[in-house]
Amino acid sequence: MSVNNLLENWSQFRHFHPVDDKPHDPYKWAMSIDLDACTGCNACSVACYAENNLPVVGKEKYAHGQAMHWMRIERYWDEDDRDFPDQGAQFLPMMCQQCEAAPCETVCPVAATNHTADGLNSQVYNRCIGSRYCSANCPYKVRYFNWYDYPTDDNVWPAEMNQQLNPDVTVRGKGVMEKCTFCVQRLHAAKGAARSEGRIVRDGEVQTACQQACPASAISFGNLVDPESRVHKQWKAQQVELDKEEQTKDKKEEGGSELRGYRIFEELRPYPSVMYLERVRESAV
Amino acid sequence: MMNSGFDRRDFLKVLGWSGVAIALNGCGNTSVEDGKETVVSYVETNDYMIPSISTYFNSTCAQCDAGCNITGRIREGRVLKLEGNPDSAINRGKTCGLGQAGVQHHYNPDRVREPLLRKGGQGEAITWEKAYALIAEKLNGVSGEEIAFLTGGVSGHLKVLLGNYLDSFGCKNHFVYEAIAPAVLRAANKKSYGVEMPRFNINKAKVVLSFGADFLGAWVSPVHFSQQYAQFRKGVDGQRGVLIQVESKMTLTGANADRWVVVRPGTEGILALGIINALGTASGDIAAKVRGYDRALVSKETGVPPGQIDKIAALLKLRSPSLVLAGSAAEGYAHGSQNAAAINLLNHVLGNVGKTVEAAAVVPFPQMAPATGNTAALKTLNDGLNAGKYKVLFSYAANPVFTAPGAMKFKDSLAKAGFKVAFAHYLDETAMQADLVLPLDSALEDWGTQVPEYMAEGAQINIQQPLMEKLHANTRGMGDILLALIKLRRAEEYKKFDDYYAYLRTAVLQNKGALGGGVADDDTFWNETLSKGIIKLAGSSHALSGNAATAGLSLPAPAAINAQYPLHLIPSVSASLRDGRHTNQPWLQESPDPLTTIVWDSWVEIHPKKAAELRIAEGDIVEVTGKNGSIKAQAYLFPGIHPDAISVPLGRGHEALGRYARGYGVNPFQILDAVFDKETGELALHETRVKVSKTGQRVIVVKDEGFVGGKQMGKKIAVRVSSDKVELSEEV
Repeated sequence: MSVNNLLENWSQFRHFHPVDDKPHDPYKWAMSIDLDACTGCNACSVACYAENNLPVVGKEKYAHGQAMHWMRIERYWDEDDRDFPDQGAQFLPMMCQQCEAAPCETVCPVAATNHTADGLNSQVYNRCIGSRYCSANCPYKVRYFNWYDYPTDDNVWPAEMNQQLNPDVTVRGKGVMEKCTFCVQRLHAAKGAARSEGRIVRDGEVQTACQQACPASAISFGNLVDPESRVHKQWKAQQVELDKEEQTKDKKEEGGSELRGYRIFEELRPYPSVMYLERVRESAV
Repeated sequence: MMNSGFDRRDFLKVLGWSGVAIALNGCGNTSVEDGKETVVSYVETNDYMIPSISTYFNSTCAQCDAGCNITGRIREGRVLKLEGNPDSAINRGKTCGLGQAGVQHHYNPDRVREPLLRKGGQGEAITWEKAYALIAEKLNGVSGEEIAFLTGGVSGHLKVLLGNYLDSFGCKNHFVYEAIAPAVLRAANKKSYGVEMPRFNINKAKVVLSFGADFLGAWVSPVHFSQQYAQFRKGVDGQRGVLIQVESKMTLTGANADRWVVVRPGTEGILALGIINALGTASGDIAAKVRGYDRALVSKETGVPPGQIDKIAALLKLRSPSLVLAGSAAEGYAHGSQNAAAINLLNHVLGNVGKTVEAAAVVPFPQMAPATGNTAALKTLNDGLNAGKYKVLFSYAANPVFTAPGAMKFKDSLAKAGFKVAFAHYLDETAMQADLVLPLDSALEDWGTQVPEYMAEGAQINIQQPLMEKLHANTRGMGDILLALIKLRRAEEYKKFDDYYAYLRTAVLQNKGALGGGVADDDTFWNETLSKGIIKLAGSSHALSGNAATAGLSLPAPAAINAQYPLHLIPSVSASLRDGRHTNQPWLQESPDPLTTIVWDSWVEIHPKKAAELRIAEGDIVEVTGKNGSIKAQAYLFPGIHPDAISVPLGRGHEALGRYARGYGVNPFQILDAVFDKETGELALHETRVKVSKTGQRVIVVKDEGFVGGKQMGKKIAVRVSSDKVELSEEV
């Protein structure tokens, strides 16, 4: 393989899902987040702590950048020189984008993070040796490392707090990397239940914890290859395609496209599974 | 069944149905009363509890008073997670972060586990029998006037029992205190609309003009309003709703506005009248009232540019119906009632009353209707305590030692009460001052009924039921304690109720017909009620009385700058920490403040311009000094605040309340001046003036945003688009 061939056809080599002979079947989990509905209230983030046994690290470790929030709300201000932010702030829920060509996967020396058939970027805790290369290579900075043994040495869950731990989710020990799983334990349960009835999971049957909590219903989640799913319809309406790095909207940028779906850092070609819908602000005031 | 010595009317009163508009069905003894059936906790392991399979029970969130209906996920007898109940008209399956953290209230390691009696400086564990005997002894020979009962907002059968208990002494001293409550607004609404809490249809409005109402954060019923907001953004008839937020310090709602309008603190009412003037549609009294408020004057007094006032007026005229909301930022002044009245007037002028401001449904049982809290009650209590009026004081669901304004010196006043009993989940600052602390079941262990103040659609009574067995053997439900106490007074009327569960069950079944039970047998109806977690009522609603009178409306000119204390102190209310009662829930401590992204600590928000003037940089420890003391906290440069104001969040700065709360941050309640709204007597939270000085110390602010502080550095991360560039009606 020549270098030229590799560079020219990079996207083909870079990711396996979906390619013509191996479409996601029957599942490709994906999300869409409407930033015009999102209020930045943090309910999703707290719900994630509750569902996924995330440790509360405390002030000192938070200061060291060791917070474990798989789902975080980023807040941005306008970068103009006005005295007041008179168009409010910009909020962005940020979690693992479950990239189709995940930059984290290729650098793992032990293949602890890899792709599942239903399009998740999975993390195998037992295999992880804590090299942290994946985190270094993640453009979204959504991988979190267990610098400490939170359940034991740090006693993050003292008696009775430990009774709240979700038995469906591993409590991670020191030295492993972790991140948002799209609530894989819920997906697993839903798929199992559907399989026993000889069908696939219907849209709305499974929700991620963040989606379920979101007071403004800003988060949609579902099976992208199911034409009946809301996520599929939203991606389609916004003309965002999973395996493209340039969408209709990008091509029309100058004239305005009436579309507001986009993926973050698409130009890096990780092919993320999360589509955001641009926040809208009224032009009349 | 009326074989004991009291009549039917008394019996109705006992059970909370007095004033019933709907006739009660025929009475009959229940199997519990007959002793044929024993009361077994609903969550005792049953056949359907299979290891590794979750079961779900409905209950009601007790983290705030909004009354969201929740579903608890229970596995192996433990409650693991709370979700919203999809059948609820209030929260429709959704929850906020505060609600999610409800499990950390329940599993909190710092809960009180035994009744504690003060012995010197220590609490000594005693038995419940001894505790009840002690209360009886202390109440012996004490008249009703010498007893005070302090609570937070209460409703449902707990309120009924409490009322009846106080009645048994002829005691009228029930002080319902909430440190942060829309009490001024209730009074203003009563005058403007004829009801204290109408229904606000954000989802039907094309424009929402909010004067400091943080309806997406901590105001009234935020989960409900957040859903309405999402619909409002999708648009009525395809036209996306526009949110304009007017305030001096940006709230979460302000951060989501299309246009955030910064206003000089306290001049919200003037701006409202200025907008009425600019609309030019008012006539008669109203036109006369606003005549003086031309854009030049209004702009000068509020600091809002004249062009902005015109634009707001033009938009309101163009897009109807709209909705105008008065929030805590407008209420928090000595002229707070006037501000709220002026803002409500705008709704009348715009013709929104009856469209986006509607009559709310009411529960037809006045005894159960919520006793809503306010701060005027605290003042009355404080005065009474200072006058040495109370020999016995009970305290439940309120922490005034932490939340009373410093100027009130409430801790000293409290010491003047003879015997202080605190019903508490944790040893908070108030419980630490009590002589007797009685440990309560958590909200996920207790039985109850709750009636929300803000009714989303039809009237409803919320059911609270245990989601698991009690964690600690010696805690008791508040209802059980009250029942035990009232039995000491009125044994005859209450002896048939073994516990609060039996009381609730009897009460609900007694009124089965009115509660929608129809002809279902008792067990079926009761089980269905518990299973649903909500009793939806065919309640009526009080009609709004469209009173647009301007009589008595007069707004003071903006206060002159105080040379000694030149800055306004805005104590801000966060959606998760509120008045500080939940600060010991670690998820909330570690959940970044949405606007500053700061965790685990307090901060002083100051506008970058003002900070430059005072040579303050981020992380400088600054001293905020007012007439009633000072606090020290890290400075955070925040663009969303008026340069003449600073803001410190409420909720932190605990000296008690357990390991996750004690010692983190500072408590701005401590330095609040005791200034009150002239009409309602409510504490004016925003009236404190302060000065800020550097201490010379400096820290690195612990926050979630990066060192560059919320900049996208030219990357396309969080993207915004102008509304004329999209077609929302064609979206999914």
